[in-house]
Order: sequence, then structure tokens, then C-alpha cells
Amino acid sequence: MLIDLFTVFREEADANGIVFYYSGILSQNVIITMSDSLKQKLQIQDEKGARSRKVFSTFIEMIQNALHYSPGTLDSDDTKEGSIIVGKKEDKYFIICANFIQKQHEMRIRDKIDPILEMSADEIRQAYRTQLKNDQHSDDTISKGAGLGFLTLARDSVEPIQYAIQDAIGYENELSCFYLKATI
Amino acid sequence: MTDIYIPATSDTPEINFKFSSNTLSMSGEAYPENGVEFFRPILRQLQNHLKALNGDAIEFNFQLTYFNSVSTKIFYSMFELLNEYAKAHPNCVLLNWHHDEEDDTILELGQDVQEDFTWIDFNAVVVA
Repeated sequence: MLIDLFTVFREEADANGIVFYYSGILSQNVIITMSDSLKQKLQIQDEKGARSRKVFSTFIEMIQNALHYSPGTLDSDDTKEGSIIVGKKEDKYFIICANFIQKQHEMRIRDKIDPILEMSADEIRQAYRTQLKNDQHSDDTISKGAGLGFLTLARDSVEPIQYAIQDAIGYENELSCFYLKATI
Repeated sequence: MTDIYIPATSDTPEINFKFSSNTLSMSGEAYPENGVEFFRPILRQLQNHLKALNGDAIEFNFQLTYFNSVSTKIFYSMFELLNEYAKAHPNCVLLNWHHDEEDDTILELGQDVQEDFTWIDFNAVVVA
């Protein structure tokens, strides 16, 4: 048996302050189940209401983003996959989400996030309000959301959100890996 | 107009729109996989109902405890409908905005709603 593997994995996770980790198939049902589990964990940690709500909100925005935009792996038609980590380091929560994206959408994502990274907290809040009131249908036909997801994450994050896009090994021509991090 | 009652699920709120008495309430959490699809028929019925009204007072109880970004945007469209009605019929829409005392996100959104929809009478209700 490979019990040692569990020990190594768990010790490594504990040492890095990991509160919650999932990697695998994504569906709305999986998200609902994870949400229940995460809520309980935050309660057990006796997390104050306001912060616990922001951690939860960030978790949902990220994982639903992964559900909507991950293309499904090439070998399995429409099965969405993603990974998410919630951890705590030096009294701050961090949430990191990873999922595949279609390579052709890489620029679109960069164009959405890069301007937000340049904004002050006030500018983020202003951009959020503007987008909230913008009831015109977006020209962005790929978007399935409200154009508010990244702004919501940036608004709640106490440090600038971070992202990275890397080639998906073995699928370099079709897919990239998208990583997104927020700090609460 | 038939009343709407939809019980809450893990990711969708309880919708209790009593058009017969013009008391509209929503509570619970809202993060459905496809928010637009879930809320579109509800918004449409609200819109039709408002068209048929002529100065009747409406009370809206907003009691949600969590909603994702897509739902937030949809609620803004809903408040826009109510604001338009209140513009034609001043003092006819009362929005009871419930928020937990520790929830600054919903508190701040309430402040935005109050600023952006000036025809709606806004009543903040702090839940301890």
C-alpha cells in the first residue's frame, strides 16, 4: 500500500497552510458540495463573518469561471476540469484556481485582467460600478458572465490579483493552463 | 398575474413574488450555473406585472445572504425595472434591504443601489 503517499501529501499541505484542495472534474453539483465543505471549514476556523464571506465569494467566482471557460480536455468531450486551493499564510487567506483554457482565448483573458492590475482600489470599485450599471449586451460573445467576475475578485482581494498563463504540456498548440490567485 | 413561488435550493434563492398583494421577496443564496437562464422568466413576469399596475404600492424584501457576480448584475436589472415604475409612480416602491451586520459587501451594494435607483424608497434592515 501507498499509505506513505497520503502522509507526505498531508504533511506538505499542512506545512503550506492548505485549508482546502480539490483537483478534478467540475460540475455545478461538485461546486455545491465543495461550497458546503468550505463553509464548514471556515466556520470551524472561527473565521469572522466578513472575511469568511469574501473567501467564499472568491472561491465561487473562481471555480465557476473555471467551469464556464475550461474547454474540457481533448480526450473527453465535455468534461470540465479544474483545481482550486484555499490556504492561509501569515493570517491571510489565499485562493488559487487552475484550469485549462483554449489557446485562442489567451489574449482575451490578458486584455481583461491586465488593465485591472494597473488600477487602484478606488478605480477597481469605480470600474465595478460602471460594469454593474452597463446593461448593454457585451460585444464579447464568448463571455458567459456579467463582465464582473475579475472585478469582483480584484475588489475583494487585499493584494493585487495575480495570474499566469502557461503552455499545457502535451497540448501546446490547443490549450494553455490558466492560474489565478487572490488574497483575502 | 399568477404569484411566483420557487423554493430555495443550495445555489438558487427562494423566490416569493406575491403579485396579488405586491409583496415580492427573495432570500437564500444565488450562484446558479446559469444565472441568466434561471432569472430571465422571473424578470419577464415582473416586467409584465409592472406594466399592468397603475400606482399600486410595491414592497420588495431583499434578504439574500450570498450571490455571485452574474446574479448581482441581474438584480441590478430588476431594480432598474422597479425604479422605472417608481419614476412613473413616486413613493410606490419600498425596498427593504436586509444585510447581516458583518456583511460589508451586501451593505456596500445596498449603498450603490440607493444611489443608482433614486426613485425607490430604500430601507436598510440590519440583521444581527
